[in-house]
Amino acid sequence: MKCEACLNLLEQHVDGELARRDAEAISAHLITCARCSGAFDQLAAEQEVYARYDRELEISPSLWGGIEARIARENRAVVSSSRFNLRELFAGLFVGSRVGFGFAGATAVLIAAIVIGVAYIRARKQSIAPKEIVTSGNVVDSKGGVHQDVKKPQNPKNAEEPKRQNKQEPNKSPNDRKEKPNDSTPRPLIPREGIAKAADQTDVFYTATAYSGEDIETQKHIERVQMLLRSIRNAEISSDDDAVDVSYEKALSRRLLSENIVLRRDAEMNGKFPVKTLLSDLEPFLIDIANLQDRSTPDELRAIKDRVRKTEIVATLQGY
Amino acid sequence: MITYPADNEMKQLAADELSLEGRPEAFAGALMNSSADLVADARQGDHEAFRLIFERYSRPVISFIYDMVSDRALAEELTQETFVRAYRNLSTMREETKLSTWLFGIARNVARESIRARVRDHAHVDLEDKSVLDLSGSDIAPVDQFLNKELNGVIERALAALDENKRLVFTLKVFQQRTYEEIAEITGYSIPKLKTDLHRARSEMRRRIGPYLAATSRSQT
Repeated sequence: MKCEACLNLLEQHVDGELARRDAEAISAHLITCARCSGAFDQLAAEQEVYARYDRELEISPSLWGGIEARIARENRAVVSSSRFNLRELFAGLFVGSRVGFGFAGATAVLIAAIVIGVAYIRARKQSIAPKEIVTSGNVVDSKGGVHQDVKKPQNPKNAEEPKRQNKQEPNKSPNDRKEKPNDSTPRPLIPREGIAKAADQTDVFYTATAYSGEDIETQKHIERVQMLLRSIRNAEISSDDDAVDVSYEKALSRRLLSENIVLRRDAEMNGKFPVKTLLSDLEPFLIDIANLQDRSTPDELRAIKDRVRKTEIVATLQGY
Repeated sequence: MITYPADNEMKQLAADELSLEGRPEAFAGALMNSSADLVADARQGDHEAFRLIFERYSRPVISFIYDMVSDRALAEELTQETFVRAYRNLSTMREETKLSTWLFGIARNVARESIRARVRDHAHVDLEDKSVLDLSGSDIAPVDQFLNKELNGVIERALAALDENKRLVFTLKVFQQRTYEEIAEITGYSIPKLKTDLHRARSEMRRRIGPYLAATSRSQT
């Protein structure tokens, strides 16, 4: 190796960035060349001086305290951001109008009128025409309850029977004709699986008004968890499979878990204990899914699936 | 394979936010404290895991920032900002990225923003500043009387006199012992550029602390 080549590579040699062959060539050259060896010694002496550089910095406990406090503040801010946005929207509305209290008052009266009107229409609909929606053997009554349709015809011959029964009882009201739902079953707010499309406009309206403003974040989160758990519950697991690819579910579960923790803490701080309890119930499922291997065994997945089914967590989420 | 109800939006969201291929052991046990495990736990909202990340990396990060800004109180403040940003963006950290490299990248941005803001307010250290360059001659104490504090002061002033890019690569290589690839990732520079900057930074530093090095070698012989 020539001196010029050696000097060009000397810094990289000191930095330990050279390929083994080059490093060996330089080491061999340094033994025989005083000039290059002097340059190397100088670089090594510099390194030694830099290694002695002491900034005398201490990590004070308050440093972590400050970070922790800021993180906690930001977590709270993220959860309530939708609330603030709504407020800002309204504030902007009034500021933008430039007509002050007069416009604000008129808007308030208008909103009140709309709310009363919609509530009246809804109440009227309920009293006039309770409906039945039949889907795949189940009946949804006008209040959203679900029950088995025992009158469903089993064959074409029997198909005429309900019609005859109706003819024989012409004075029977529509309420009498449908099956009564089990009174002990809580009335679900969100239409049940497979029935959402068939639900009438009343149900949609009720759901929309029930979740206004501050709960929207939690509601969306619960819907996402519900989708995940439902996908696990409905998964078709074949015993022939050596492993099942659940990397997507695992990644999603991790994200939802982080979200869940933030929302649960927020619910606890705001005294929303039913919501807090529900979110607490979700965490074991999310943790279990997050802990799965990317390629999980059918048994592991089946265990979670069985637990989702047995605990009826999906139904609980639907009832939220 | 397994079949699931279609939910393309959720799949896309998850794929964008998290890519966890190749790390199946990430949740294998709470006692595993590799950086990857700590990141995975912190992503789940585990504050203790994030505190461990802070404990592990706060010293190199604050040293690096201090070398960049030369101000103790500001370095603390910027270290705090670095870790808050890291926490906020944990989910965006790529799987193949080393945690230390990623943290230095954030610290570099935070320090750079602060330097930009300061430059607007104050004149930065002049490269030809007499106090920086006038280190030679009879004022130099022999190395046996040479206090570490003085050496630290000399290095600190010489470092502050480097321009920002050279200071950045010099600090990362010489003090933080990062590889060229890591420095390239942290700074966004190409490897040839960072080699050039590093060579120039070494030369400038040598020029400024050279008299002390000479005194050191005289004293040793």
